[in-house]
Amino acid sequence: MLKTTVEIILRSFNRKGLSSRYLSTAVQPRHDEKLETFRTPENDPSKHNSQHLAQFYRIPLEDKNALFHQSALPKSFEEQTKTFNEICLMVRKPGIDIINYLNTLDYTKPSVRFVLYGQKGSGKTLSLAHILHYAYRNNYLLVHVPWVGNWMHRSKEFSNSETQEGYVDINLDAAAWLLHFKTQNVKLLKNTDLKLLETIEWNSRESTLKDAPLLELVEHGISRIKFASRVVNILADQIKRLSSEGVCKTLVAIDGYNAFFYPSTKVYTEKREMVPPSRITVTEAFLNLTKFDWTNSAIVVTVDELAVPDENQISYFPRYLLGKEGFNHIDPFIPVPVANYSKKELTSVINYYIERKWIQPYPGQEEELSLLANSNPYSLMKLCNSL
Amino acid sequence: MAALKGILCKNQLLKSKITISHYIQNGMSQFPKYYIEPVYKKEELKELEKSGDIDRLAHLPTKPASSDSTCSFKQDPDINLFVNYVMKCGKKSLARELVEKSFENIKRIQLEKYHKCESEEEKNKLELNPRVIFHNAVENCKPLVELTGVRRGGVKYQVPVPVAQRRSLFLSMKWLIAAALEKDGKVRFTDQLARELVDAAHSKGKVVKKKQELHKQCEANRAYAHYRWN
Repeated sequence: MLKTTVEIILRSFNRKGLSSRYLSTAVQPRHDEKLETFRTPENDPSKHNSQHLAQFYRIPLEDKNALFHQSALPKSFEEQTKTFNEICLMVRKPGIDIINYLNTLDYTKPSVRFVLYGQKGSGKTLSLAHILHYAYRNNYLLVHVPWVGNWMHRSKEFSNSETQEGYVDINLDAAAWLLHFKTQNVKLLKNTDLKLLETIEWNSRESTLKDAPLLELVEHGISRIKFASRVVNILADQIKRLSSEGVCKTLVAIDGYNAFFYPSTKVYTEKREMVPPSRITVTEAFLNLTKFDWTNSAIVVTVDELAVPDENQISYFPRYLLGKEGFNHIDPFIPVPVANYSKKELTSVINYYIERKWIQPYPGQEEELSLLANSNPYSLMKLCNSL
Repeated sequence: MAALKGILCKNQLLKSKITISHYIQNGMSQFPKYYIEPVYKKEELKELEKSGDIDRLAHLPTKPASSDSTCSFKQDPDINLFVNYVMKCGKKSLARELVEKSFENIKRIQLEKYHKCESEEEKNKLELNPRVIFHNAVENCKPLVELTGVRRGGVKYQVPVPVAQRRSLFLSMKWLIAAALEKDGKVRFTDQLARELVDAAHSKGKVVKKKQELHKQCEANRAYAHYRWN
């Protein structure tokens, strides 16, 4: 019946060129919705899937303050967020892939290790930020190192270790990291199940008792900077044991992981001799955390060319950057490549910039920018700065 | 030489009065005067093709395009000129970087204002395009008259004279750069330049004041204006 009426109407209106679109009951997309294809209203990373690829989502301000407290995000990105008046991340394939894995992992098995790798400026750190946001929303205990290179090349202070012969402490940086750890995990550290498994004696007078909350250990490291490096090592050990016992679920996220295996640093002993990373006390903690001999955890690290000096930036692949020793340490792992922008992502970014009034559109802009920047996210950002 | 003369005659560039040597010498330029400027923009080429002028230009000796000329839409001869004025010791890439960085700073300054605006109307009024701001700033700083010294009867008079279009452009850009350099040691050139450009675009700031003062002085010295002649 309905079909025949439609046919009649169509026939009678045929001369005027009525299309069958007017007769369909499907909802027509509104114009303003079409404009905003580069943005998704879904702000919870645990609900992101491949449908949200190449779209931007906004990180709520309270999450940002809790997660990326001081200089946990790259400086150039921080500057952009200030100018744009919001913190937006693009949902990209490596992030989605790892989030899917994290959702389906069997946490009773030894921990799985992911290595993000890619060219300079392809978005490894921000993919890691996306994963961190997911982990934060899903109550993982976060062990996040914003940039290992800061310890190896821009260490604020160093002194010979008192407990380990021939080792060097970077106490100020270790204390700063403990503060970062504390701010990221404020909610979880209130959990009374997280407590020390053994008594720790700092010296003849000071000691932290067994069953004291983990927060006390962290605060001891912050207030008594002399012990900060040691606290980091003990904390790593305790976290491993606690998660293996099933008290908490842990995500270890380390940016610029290959700096732990590059032989030269700018840390010196009191005799002005250069110290390799293996002789710095905090290295031990994070190498310990990236082993697979514990459960209830996942490990995501990035390897980056920027963590090594210019003359050795030959290849961005993990085998080269980690070296033999590092590769053996982290093997077996799941390599996750972070590629440059695809065509869809590029369009999305440019539309986002235009919406934020950051660039003025001109004809042939997208093609020109993609060719000039070689679709590299960082180069594209730099190019758009002056437009 | 005969062949060259042939080409020139054919294209009616050579007039009987002037010798070839006059054409070949062209100041410091690598190219003789009869070389024509290159056409490097796609759109201009298409127009030439349409109008048929391309046949006339096809076999004329042409200068090569300079290294900074592209057919991109973002290219702007005035900004190129400004980059050249900022440049010192031939470090063009550095000069370009500085100018681009100050454009970035202009955008950051304006966007900060934009997000502080409460009403939609105010937001629409704000100019966010750094290139438009740059052009407005340069336009606002162009002087119309300036003073030159003229010696009459052993006394040097400051005589107001009108400024040619090209010189006024030069003066405006030069003053903007000088104003940006006049700063505290800790402040970056790019930050200061951005601030000066934004101020000048709104007809405020050091440079516009300088221009107005010059105009005032010219007005005061109008009695000497006739010294320009005789």
